[in-house]
Amino acid sequence: MDYIQPYLMLSSILFSMGIYAVITRKNAVAILMGIELILNACNINFVTFNRFGNFATLDGHVFTMFVIVLAAAEAAVALAIIINLFKNIGTVDVDQAKEMKG
Amino acid sequence: MYNDYIPVVVFTALAIGLLAAPLVIQHLVSPRHNKRNDKLMSYECGEVPEGSAWVKFNVRFYIIALVFIIFDVEVVFLFPWAAVYQSFIAQGQGLLVLFEMLMFVIILTVGFAYVWVKGDLDWVKMQLKYAHGRYSKLGVDKK
Amino acid sequence: MNNLQSIQYFLPELLIVQLALSIIILDLLSLKRWVNICVYIGLGCSALLLCQLSSPIDGFHIFNGMLINDSFSYYFKWIILISTASIIVISNYSKELDREYSVEFNAMILFVLLGMFLMTNSIDLLMIYLSIELVSIPSYVLAGILKNDKKSNEASLKYVIFGSFASGLMLFGLSWLYGISGSTNIYDIYNSLALVESPYMIYISLMLILVGFGYKISMAPLHYWTPDVYEGSPTVVTAFFSVAPKAAGFAILIRTFSILFTDANSLSVNTFPIHNVNWSLVVAVLSAITMSIGNLLALKQDNVKRMLAYSTISHVGFMLMAFSTTSVEGNIGIMFYLAMYMFMNLSAFFMVIHVENNFNVKNIEDWSGIGYKSPVLSIFMVLSLVSLAGLPPTSGFVGKVYLFRTLFATEQFYWLGIVAILNSVISLYYYFKIVKSMYFSEKVIEEKENIQAPVYTLIVLFSAQNILFYMYWSDLYNYIKGLF
Repeated sequence: MDYIQPYLMLSSILFSMGIYAVITRKNAVAILMGIELILNACNINFVTFNRFGNFATLDGHVFTMFVIVLAAAEAAVALAIIINLFKNIGTVDVDQAKEMKG
Repeated sequence: MYNDYIPVVVFTALAIGLLAAPLVIQHLVSPRHNKRNDKLMSYECGEVPEGSAWVKFNVRFYIIALVFIIFDVEVVFLFPWAAVYQSFIAQGQGLLVLFEMLMFVIILTVGFAYVWVKGDLDWVKMQLKYAHGRYSKLGVDKK
Repeated sequence: MNNLQSIQYFLPELLIVQLALSIIILDLLSLKRWVNICVYIGLGCSALLLCQLSSPIDGFHIFNGMLINDSFSYYFKWIILISTASIIVISNYSKELDREYSVEFNAMILFVLLGMFLMTNSIDLLMIYLSIELVSIPSYVLAGILKNDKKSNEASLKYVIFGSFASGLMLFGLSWLYGISGSTNIYDIYNSLALVESPYMIYISLMLILVGFGYKISMAPLHYWTPDVYEGSPTVVTAFFSVAPKAAGFAILIRTFSILFTDANSLSVNTFPIHNVNWSLVVAVLSAITMSIGNLLALKQDNVKRMLAYSTISHVGFMLMAFSTTSVEGNIGIMFYLAMYMFMNLSAFFMVIHVENNFNVKNIEDWSGIGYKSPVLSIFMVLSLVSLAGLPPTSGFVGKVYLFRTLFATEQFYWLGIVAILNSVISLYYYFKIVKSMYFSEKVIEEKENIQAPVYTLIVLFSAQNILFYMYWSDLYNYIKGLF
């Protein structure tokens, strides 16, 4: 495939599916999965632009590696927070975290 | 142009075929009369199974996986550095580049030391937070 | 300039990294009583190192174009350093925080400090993303540091989900900017953006990056995390969140948008949005919405921390009003207002910490009788509240005058000025609910008040700035003007 559009469409579709997952799901871990989808869609974007853009440097690929590492760190922290929440509330349903309203 | 993809098609066909064939043959050949209640229970070495098959995971699995993933992505950073290191040596800056990466690894080693000393790598965490009163004779580390 | 020559301009940040690592190592070696001294000495040394950094406005790039060293970031670094240092001092006297995790708390605040320093300096897309994440991820942990408190857990959960989501969206916008230009340095991206014919890619990337930065400064459609996180976190952490990341967020917002999305590619020139992509109108509308949401929703709040969270949102709305004009007076106004805002907000929060330490308070009604129990501190609290509301004999009034003056100096968005004046009037009500509860409720408090000297000193010192800056604001203003 020598056109850039299919790759960008793929990343946009993944991005939208990630946003849908974050907005719609009740389970906190599923929301995290959506966030990972969003970050990976951005990775596809970076790598695609570097492949098709005839750029002199490999900035896109390096950026992608940084984003992968950051996504792992963020997911680790978020899962630790969810475990802490589970120990106190007993469920990972985000609708049940309703102490503060308004 | 697409001739290079023929092995992929053959591979996919073989994979699907070798999976599907035993299932189909089993469905055609197997006896029908002993697929009823007792035969379908899960096998527990002759005992009668009770309770749910979903067991609670020990949270230590998560802690170990977390520490692993952090150091794994640290190694991910080491790979591009290793790939370009030779060209830096050729320019005479090898020591400086090594020192920069050493700083990065030292920061992560401090994190590793923290996880180790605080007892997060033990399978059973042996440091009680409030080890006084009736827990003081347990003989574990008090912090 | 390359890495080795840039280190001399990077010394404060290096010292902060070394300080954070040292206190972790000291804790592991069971030398916990030296941690406090170490932190104070370290912060003092980094302040000294910061003193020797001042540079002209169009500074120079360091670390091969990743960071920029100029006086704009220098000013913001001082605001961030002063607020963080006072928070670290106060955190030793708060009853909410766990003594056992004090070293981790200090280490994480130092990492957030490092991230904020980098945020003010960043001119590379990767650096922007990394510094925002370096500020956000320890903040998620800091919001949830009370492990047994349900509100704290819920606050950190909401913060992490919202924050990761907004960062992901911002990253998508950054990827489009990279795709247009092929470089990650925002000066090079500007050169490529000037050649783009169709503005749609600029729209998309601009909106998404505005989402990312707007989440950090609690702009209007992205403010939902602010009340819950501010209410659920320990009050020390709330005081930290309300000042320092906002200052860093404004620094990076002003710098990125002034360089990337305006015609002049510089911070020190009055300019217009690029290519007639009229994003200043979008920011103006969002500023009006932010102000209104902050003020209207604060009217019916019972919890002091939640009310102060909504007041933070409304102050951000005022600052965005000056930002939407894309002019030098706007930037000067925002920088001046942030200094005033730091003092008045921190003194209000320190008073809340003091009251929470000594008296059992949950809501505004529980503040009854505190005016008579601790008279001196209550006077300073009233001073801070008056300053937050923007009434004349205080520095908040001077700050707001400069924000309004921006609109008149650039002759844009007069309707926004009217909305802002109405909002200022509305804000008087909820600030004075605390004053009413402190002085006009008949209740005698029997609990003994335990005044700790540093808390007392900091409240008095920061609150006195409200009056001092009313009289001597011109020095600070001329200094900021001279930076440009």
